[in-house]
Amino acid sequence: MNERTIKKVLVANRGVPAVRIMHTCRDRRIPTCAVYSTPDRLAHHVFMADTAVHIGEAPPVESYLNMDRIIDAALRSDSDAVHPGWGFLAENHVFAQKVVEAGLVWIGPSPEVIKIMGDKIEAKAIALKAHVPTIPGISSVTDIDQIRKWMKEEQVSFPVMIKASAGGGGKGMLKVERDDQLGQALAQVRSEAKKSFGDENVLVEKYIERGRHIEVQIVADSQGSVLHLYERECTLQRRNQKIIEEAPSPSLDDGLRQEICYTATRLMREIGYTTAGTVEFIFDALTKKFYFLEVNTRLQVEHGITELITGLDIVGIMLDVAMGRPLPFKQSDIHPNRWALEVRLNAEDPKNFSPSFGKITRLQAPMGPGVRVASGVYEGADIPPYYDSLFMLLMTAGADREDAIRAMDRSLSRNLRIEGVKTLAPLLLSIIRHPSFISGEFSTRFIEEHMDSLISMFRDESSEDEALKVARYVAEISALGPQAWM
Amino acid sequence: MEDMKKEMGNTIFVKPGMSPKEIVTAVRSLPGVCFTSVGMRDAGQSDFKNRHRIYDLKTLAPYYNNMGLFSAECHGGARWHVGIMNRRESPVEEIALLRESMPDVLLQTLIRETNLFGYRPYPKNIIEHVVANVDIDVWRCFSFLNDVRNMRSVAEVVLKRGRLFEPAISFTSAQWTTNDYYLSIVRDIVDLCSGTDEIVLCIKDMAGVGDIRRIGSLVDAIKQKYPDLVMHYHRHITDGLAMPALLSAARAGAKIFDVEEDSLVRFYGHSPILSVQAYFEESGIPVNLVRDEAEKAVQQVRRWIGDYEWAESPFKGFDHTVTRHRMPGGAFPSSFEQAEKGAFLHLMPSILKVMSLYNRIVKYFDVTPGSQITWVTCSGIVNRYAKERGDAGVRHVIDLLRRFVEEKTQDLASMTEAEQQELLSLFRNAPGDFKHLLLGNYGRLPMGWPEEWVYRSTFGAEWEKKMSERKELSPLDSLENEDIDKARRELAEHIGRAPTEEEFILYLMHPKDALSMIGFREKFGAAPLVLPTDVWRYGLRKAGDRVDFELWGKPYTIELVSVGAEHEGVIHVVMLVNNKTRVYSVDTPRAKKVEMRMAKGPADIGAPISGNIWRIGNPERGALRVGDIVHKGEEIANMEAMKMENAIIVPFDGQIAEVCVKLNDTVLEGQLIFVLDKVQIKDQISAESIELP
Repeated sequence: MNERTIKKVLVANRGVPAVRIMHTCRDRRIPTCAVYSTPDRLAHHVFMADTAVHIGEAPPVESYLNMDRIIDAALRSDSDAVHPGWGFLAENHVFAQKVVEAGLVWIGPSPEVIKIMGDKIEAKAIALKAHVPTIPGISSVTDIDQIRKWMKEEQVSFPVMIKASAGGGGKGMLKVERDDQLGQALAQVRSEAKKSFGDENVLVEKYIERGRHIEVQIVADSQGSVLHLYERECTLQRRNQKIIEEAPSPSLDDGLRQEICYTATRLMREIGYTTAGTVEFIFDALTKKFYFLEVNTRLQVEHGITELITGLDIVGIMLDVAMGRPLPFKQSDIHPNRWALEVRLNAEDPKNFSPSFGKITRLQAPMGPGVRVASGVYEGADIPPYYDSLFMLLMTAGADREDAIRAMDRSLSRNLRIEGVKTLAPLLLSIIRHPSFISGEFSTRFIEEHMDSLISMFRDESSEDEALKVARYVAEISALGPQAWM
Repeated sequence: MEDMKKEMGNTIFVKPGMSPKEIVTAVRSLPGVCFTSVGMRDAGQSDFKNRHRIYDLKTLAPYYNNMGLFSAECHGGARWHVGIMNRRESPVEEIALLRESMPDVLLQTLIRETNLFGYRPYPKNIIEHVVANVDIDVWRCFSFLNDVRNMRSVAEVVLKRGRLFEPAISFTSAQWTTNDYYLSIVRDIVDLCSGTDEIVLCIKDMAGVGDIRRIGSLVDAIKQKYPDLVMHYHRHITDGLAMPALLSAARAGAKIFDVEEDSLVRFYGHSPILSVQAYFEESGIPVNLVRDEAEKAVQQVRRWIGDYEWAESPFKGFDHTVTRHRMPGGAFPSSFEQAEKGAFLHLMPSILKVMSLYNRIVKYFDVTPGSQITWVTCSGIVNRYAKERGDAGVRHVIDLLRRFVEEKTQDLASMTEAEQQELLSLFRNAPGDFKHLLLGNYGRLPMGWPEEWVYRSTFGAEWEKKMSERKELSPLDSLENEDIDKARRELAEHIGRAPTEEEFILYLMHPKDALSMIGFREKFGAAPLVLPTDVWRYGLRKAGDRVDFELWGKPYTIELVSVGAEHEGVIHVVMLVNNKTRVYSVDTPRAKKVEMRMAKGPADIGAPISGNIWRIGNPERGALRVGDIVHKGEEIANMEAMKMENAIIVPFDGQIAEVCVKLNDTVLEGQLIFVLDKVQIKDQISAESIELP
């Protein structure tokens, strides 16, 4: 492919991913254009960009999922490339195709690759062909008798996992424990799949108990070079969404690490993958076996920890590849020499994960040695109820795992201050202080299994919180004068 | 310097950690007398409605620590309840603070024998639990009936913990309170406590009515019978004759005296510490006191006492008629407070007059809870007459009682028929506690039960039945133990977490007020402990005003920037908290209450999370409406939050009685979505089954 230049990037996203992409664009002195929905008019990403275009009302289908509006915005703003970030249209091949057809550069893998890998059934078939181990399962499920029959034939027992074929990012999937839950669960996944992905096809798989979630970061250029940037461990999840990730994985020894990374590279080479992407595996710690889960044909939320351990800029690599440049390094040049940890600060009640939207009245982000913050908000910003609850990523790095955990502990317990919305911070702190996390003994069910003890570890008081309670009292009495109850 | 040290060494003669026996021996071996300072409890209770805050009181602690006191009374009585209700301070945290700042001083409480720090008789197991969990050195315990049987549980636990038990005899002057009567009480006490070596006996003259010769004679009589018994005289100053009475008791052999800082003395509390010391010394009685430290404490009080002017009693001056109406010093300000709030302050002289007649009809001691029973009963009678017949009615009832008590020596038959009828309905509206008293629920009355007509007057037609139910046993023996763990679970349920032991004790004594206090502290944190009193009461008054405080070892400053004008029931207050600007929205009493209904009852279906209701009903049945029958396990609505769907499932078979939201409403967790009706569906089924055959 011939080299080409990119003069301006439209970032088809909001919040943390949009800001992250704009950071690298700024480093490269490439101007950016933001898009925003009505409630996001004053959002952080809008002001990070050089220009911004309003694309519609609050509901995602009218704005961040509205392909024509976004492409129109790119053309109107003289952008010549589109980066989709993660979520929204990032893995939508129709959108990628439309971007290309509009004469714009699509910063991501080709629409064909997105399409193939986006279909979980087809992806699984390709994996099988490439001799990548996969989980036993059944596709194109429309009624529960199909599931029952398959379970009987393949001698699969509960729990099983129902997934939207077109899903990803933990959305549109449900674990089913008992036969009598099948009907309700199937209906729910189909409905969510239809609403979120416009495709109600689902598949059912055996659920690997106490599995670990390990993924390999791949970068590839259009000249055929496919390299891996090692793995990340993303086992800690709640409701199938990751909340803590680390690199490297504490579950693997060097032999397994080489095996899983080369398996992923082989698969991506088979596909003809370009730019950045991820191969996800479920790892059975007991049998030391790993199974292919899916390929994420986009930038991952947790890419930052790979950047921290390798010193590379993955968004920068995506820009280079999109401009037709070859990767400037070989596999043997990649030497991770740090341990990195990431926690996701979601605006949620840490006790029950119910969303907590509203205004961030106070925001103090951690600073200090070994810390990287990726924020989608600023003090005073609103977190609207329409979108994902993630508003900040907190990463720390150190010479080893213990170092990284220490820096994370300091960041969460001393430096971070968020008021106005509830965040997962107390839960995240409890997790990284939990003996099982520290010893590396955990599975994807860690949080559900330990929720009570994690909640009991919440520190509910800090002197600053207490001082603010005193201040609230002073404010009330200053406004109202002496009270009858005194 | 050497002399000073030597003097201090001799002066501090008792300390926490000493056994009761060591303490008693130390007091006995003093050449003269010593003091208990009530500056941290009864002084505030008597003249300042118990509003003195620990923030100010603790500034006295360093002086107390070097003063050579017998003890500091800093806990118990009504200070406990007012702390929770008004000052929002916990008596437990007060004790912890004082322990730290005056480690060498015995901390003293005042406890009711079965009512403890609350207002109802508690069963044995609660008494034991509470007494075992409060860190106090000297337990002054009294019974308003002088029913020594009632003290047994408190005595046992205090002695078992190796703390000093100080039983009190409630003192008043009346024809029936003779030396022989008191000697019989002291005998019961000495029997209960197995001798005189490990206790201090308190003579509690809570109203300040003991005349000078009377008190000397009583102390002398006790001293004759129990020469080793250490006596502690607690005497209010209401009649204006306290200091000579103190001297009279000292000369007769009492060893410990209650005093307070001169600068705290008003009209209903105790004698001034410096004056009593000077008076005693001049009269040849040595006092164990480091005068210099006492003077500093007196001076220290002047730095903050001005902040409590608003809490002082509206009736100022001594009151020698206290010897007749006998309202105790501790009850004076709260009675006036109630009279003021109830707009009957002008009736106070009449009420006091009725009290002086009433206490000759029903005989007990006017101290908690007796003083409250007297107050509520008598103020009730006067208010009733005032309402029904005006001033003439009030004069009439006083005259009726005066003639009955003074002229006819309470001989009902000698009154006219009409007067008899009037007396027989006098107590018909008496408070429940008065009835409990007559029924023996507090214990035996000191001079026996009241006359029959009082029961007829109180209980009407039921009087004979009620009289036959009257208990002779102590409440300790008649009350069943309560389930302590159940109470703890109850509290945990109220506050949504496991309570601390401290919170639990507050809850056992005053459930409603403890819950309110816990809620207050969750919202306002340590405000009651760290804010100076003027800021506590008035806030910051003008822009630029600031308050400095320390919290958990770190400095904080709050500075007022501005207080906005009220707009639709909200005032915005801008402040700098450690230099950072913060804006607070304060709801005024006129704030519009946005009513949001929450799911509460078993038939209410609430939102499992906060989010958006995007479907009411389910795909199979479509939308659901009021009247539709739904079945257990069926999805009746679906919510979306942050792109996740959440089904709302019916917990039981029922009929939809109300749909409380509209499609696409954003709702909060717990908000009411549906009301179901369980009964209707049953009716329908039974109706069907009737038709079937």
